[in-house]
Amino acid sequence: MRENEPTRDDLVGGAWRGAVAGVAGGLVFGACMASYGSLPTVASIVRVSSPYAGFAVHLVIAAVIGTGFGILAGRVRGGELLFWGVMYGGFWWFLGPQTLLPLLTGEPVTWDLAAAQRLLPSLYGHLAYGAVTALAFALLGRGRPDIGLRPVLRGLVAGPAAALVLLPASNLLVAGIVAGIGYPLLFSGRREGTGPALIRGTVYGFVVWVAAGLTAPPLLRGDDLDWSAAATRTAVGSLPGYLLLGAGTALVFSWLGLLSRLLFVDDVRRLHDEGAGAHGLHATGFGILAGLLGGSVFALVWWRSGGLVQVAGLVGGHGPVLGLIVHLVIAQLIGVSYALLFRRRAFDLASGIGWGVSYGFLWWVLGALTLLPALLGLPLRWNAAAISTAFPSLVGHLAYGAVLGAIHQYLENRVNPWWVTRGEAETARVVARREQALGSAPALWMVTVLIAVAVPVFTAGG
Amino acid sequence: MGGAVVGGLMAYQGLGGVFWLFVVYSGLTGVALGFLGRHRPGGVVALGLLLGLLGWLAWTLTLDPLRRGETPTWTAAAAAAEYPRLVGDLLAGAMAGVLFPLLARFLPERAEPEPAVAARIVIIGGGFGGVAAAQRFEKLRARGRAVDVTLVSDSNFLLFTPMLAEVAGGALEAQHISAPVRACAPHTRFRRGEVTRIDITERAVVLRTGGLRDERVPFDHLVVATGVVPAFFGLPGVEERGFTLKTLGDAARLRAHVLGLLELAEQESDPRERARQLSFVVAGGGFAGAEAVAELFDLVHGVLRHYPGIDPEEPAFMLVHSGQRILPELSDRLGDYARERLEARGIGFRFGVRVAEVAESAVWLNDRTSIPARTLVWTAGNRPGPLLSGRKLTTDAALRVEGVDGIWAVGDCAEIPDPEGRPYPPTAQHALREGAQVADNVVAVLEGRAPKPFVFRTIGILCLLGHRTAAAEIKGRRFSGLAAWFLWRGIYLAKLPGAEKRLRVLSDWVIDLAFPRDITVSRDA
Repeated sequence: MRENEPTRDDLVGGAWRGAVAGVAGGLVFGACMASYGSLPTVASIVRVSSPYAGFAVHLVIAAVIGTGFGILAGRVRGGELLFWGVMYGGFWWFLGPQTLLPLLTGEPVTWDLAAAQRLLPSLYGHLAYGAVTALAFALLGRGRPDIGLRPVLRGLVAGPAAALVLLPASNLLVAGIVAGIGYPLLFSGRREGTGPALIRGTVYGFVVWVAAGLTAPPLLRGDDLDWSAAATRTAVGSLPGYLLLGAGTALVFSWLGLLSRLLFVDDVRRLHDEGAGAHGLHATGFGILAGLLGGSVFALVWWRSGGLVQVAGLVGGHGPVLGLIVHLVIAQLIGVSYALLFRRRAFDLASGIGWGVSYGFLWWVLGALTLLPALLGLPLRWNAAAISTAFPSLVGHLAYGAVLGAIHQYLENRVNPWWVTRGEAETARVVARREQALGSAPALWMVTVLIAVAVPVFTAGG
Repeated sequence: MGGAVVGGLMAYQGLGGVFWLFVVYSGLTGVALGFLGRHRPGGVVALGLLLGLLGWLAWTLTLDPLRRGETPTWTAAAAAAEYPRLVGDLLAGAMAGVLFPLLARFLPERAEPEPAVAARIVIIGGGFGGVAAAQRFEKLRARGRAVDVTLVSDSNFLLFTPMLAEVAGGALEAQHISAPVRACAPHTRFRRGEVTRIDITERAVVLRTGGLRDERVPFDHLVVATGVVPAFFGLPGVEERGFTLKTLGDAARLRAHVLGLLELAEQESDPRERARQLSFVVAGGGFAGAEAVAELFDLVHGVLRHYPGIDPEEPAFMLVHSGQRILPELSDRLGDYARERLEARGIGFRFGVRVAEVAESAVWLNDRTSIPARTLVWTAGNRPGPLLSGRKLTTDAALRVEGVDGIWAVGDCAEIPDPEGRPYPPTAQHALREGAQVADNVVAVLEGRAPKPFVFRTIGILCLLGHRTAAAEIKGRRFSGLAAWFLWRGIYLAKLPGAEKRLRVLSDWVIDLAFPRDITVSRDA
């Protein structure tokens, strides 16, 4: 057996916990399905049409899928499970209602955009199922969550602070308070680098958007749950704001933690966990080079879609050549920020690409949808039509991020290989940092991918 | 397999696309997945999804339209049209990510090749040459070379010697011009201690760390980069009474001595003794000597405002040099310029003579004249330390010590021939490049390749001449005065190891612009 591989007892225990957690998630999802009337569709798997039978079938499926989650996620800890659950639910949306359910009922698979839009309520239901299953799984495994007062206070400051920054664009103060309280409760205030915190926050912002931006408003008005494509298209205008709110909350939360440690921690051992060999200037140089290469790939996309001409307006000029120069300068600046924020966080090419794609997505929201129009004196691209128009820019940002992350990881590991250590103690520290980073990171990258590919589904039509 | 399943389903469902093309495409994605995820087969579902997305962006939205003779647009409408392929790519990628670890489990495990036995390499010396060699070895190790490197040095820091004179002059804090070896070469094993013997027969160095007994550190290849120590040539009193300028301790002692003499001189009523106390002699007209006399001048005159009892005309500075002009490494014009600038401040010169003896109250020269002084700064000679019996190691052009296999030498302790057969000058810029070259050459020998000869042309020479003045010759172009001073500071600031040290030195310089130099001296100094 390979080292760190789960034992048979681990798998069995995880499967049981997963099944119970799956039932918990299934109850929430089932209630949602009951409200928008899709339980008879589920019942059709057993050739009946009763919603009660559908609910029962649904719970059995939920328990089975929850068992799968328990086996796969048995070793993931605490709040990290949330995004694994969200991702798992999202994946089952593709595999279940779009693929297996039609096949089991003798229908063709529904992989087209129109069907995906019709199935949007199911997407949110799957996400809710995944989230609830994950949280229940965490509670069953760990018992009472271990959360201190300080992280909650930091969250209470961080959420509203991020909302205040966004106030000129959108009033998200109430959501900011909720997000601020929820962040430490879900992630327990554990230390992490600013870069990973930003990505975590962005994904967290999406979860908050589903809960507060899409689900809560009709319920608060006394209406029924409305997860339809039309409601989504209306609510998607606030999605960039929520994504930035999440990222901002995580950023402020992380920095407040750093400040708190600097001011109030008297044990110096808790201050420094960076190993030797962190070279700031090297990182800057790598960021410039990686940003330049990523920006060149991005430029190919933007040149076709006319975005470069718009970028030239940032310096009051015109023309694609000036736009290209400005674009490449911005690409390098973002590259430097990536290199500094994600220094020593990419442990292999795959994690470099994962962080890079996620960071590229964040900059699509912050840059293309928000800062670029704001700096040009145009309305923010915070509505479905504008977001849909900005899709080529999303493609460019994702490609930019992938190249940026891959090149940076390659360069960084050439001069500062994380696996070269000088002793067992240092090796243990590095391995612990790697496991911490890679324990939650893949789920963050996957949910980011999920959000990115959902953009056409959220914004089409109208 | 994921591609076959999903592609088959897509073909069966009439979702467009060519089945075999999708399978081939998915196979390539699987190859990428296997390559990128080979180090952690337990967690590649996320990677599969990422590759599915990136593949969709690259192939379906970009290359496939080009293949069909269309122009890719990447618009939401184009994405919507290709949505079935997106779902297919994501599912195929995720399925590949799930199947990969399962297949890896059932496939017969390939016998791991025996890890190459890492060659044991010991570097003696934590100066420019030694640290540069260690840094280069780190890069080579990161690229898969099997080397196990240990750096041994009697001090745990790399001293930036070009700024040592400024430390002696009180312009810079001593610790700011040194960087820990452990930080400079973070992936190299560091041993602090004094190497007392090199056992060539047993291939080991004998290391004295202060423990109960000496240790033996075995090596397959040894890089000697011990640098040099002052050579006193047996001249009476020079070693006992002279001040050298090779270490941080030397700089601190010299500064404390000068400030101590100023304290004494202000209270001294005997004019002859007072003159001796305020007379400063520097032996050696090279870079170290010229910079030392200039910094001593700046230090003394920079703090005289605190000593109202000393007339500014009283302190005397004399540079003694055996040649006919200072700074022989520079062109005649710059050498003359440097002398003129120093003379204009009142610094005296004695050319064509050598220091013969240092007595308690005078420095005797070999022309039987003397200079009444209580301070002699000795910069007139260097030699390798006792480990090398005071003799430089002669190497071939590839930095191998002649006549001994597996022993290499770089830096000031080595005599390395240039293409014309003349020895390279002992400067930091040479030592840095020799260090990198020796690492390449050691690895080349380990891999059965021939080592390359070291070839380097001096980029430039810079000499600080005190307050806002310097002389420099870079790539044949000469600079002097304020421009050279800025050049000196800019270049050496950039070359300091580590951003933190650069900031600290920069802050020292800025403070030195606005405030007088500190005259605080420890009672023990």
